[in-house]
Amino acid sequence: MMNEMIELLKGVEFFDGLTDEELRRVAGICREVRYRKGDLVTTQGEEGEEMYIVREGLVEVTIGESGAAPRTVVNLGTGQVVGEMALVDRGPRSATVRCVTDAVVSAIQRDAFEQLCQSDHRIGMIVYRNLAADLSFKLRHRHLARR
Amino acid sequence: MVYKVSIVIPGAEHAGAILNLREMPKVGDRIRVGEMEVEVLEVMDLVPPRGDFHFVHATCKIVEEAKSN
Repeated sequence: MMNEMIELLKGVEFFDGLTDEELRRVAGICREVRYRKGDLVTTQGEEGEEMYIVREGLVEVTIGESGAAPRTVVNLGTGQVVGEMALVDRGPRSATVRCVTDAVVSAIQRDAFEQLCQSDHRIGMIVYRNLAADLSFKLRHRHLARR
Repeated sequence: MVYKVSIVIPGAEHAGAILNLREMPKVGDRIRVGEMEVEVLEVMDLVPPRGDFHFVHATCKIVEEAKSN
């Protein structure tokens, strides 16, 4: 089971560059959550203490702005990360995430994540660099989608 | 290698998607996006590869709509 989780994490850019032993430590703080089509993973405006790795299925990220209907900004599939902003800035959820299909995710709790990064600065440096690259990729996607 | 693909569908009411593929998508390939299937019209590298990952942008068209609830 642990080896299966490590192989899965190797396919997630967020953890690219970590050794097998480092991935084993990350796997140790992952909790599997199963959702049905239509379930909410996060709700915009609420407090959030977890980020999620999409292992199976597709989730839809929507943003609601005052006076306008919520709009979908991106759909995220296998290997993508959602809810990571709450880990970085401790702010409320910036978007609502809903399952477009049945989905399996790995949830990582903020305190456990921070503890891991503080106990091993190499893991912290690599993961935070990858987090910045992931946010950059999402921004590039959004620019292309809005052309 | 993992191909992290930004899928954009011009002219559709769809926000597109980001997903990982095990092979580089090619023009004409069909990709499943949830309950929908799209066909690749154009592919380009979005940013240089890093580690085990390639970062790709694919312009697509819908060939099979998602079933409504």
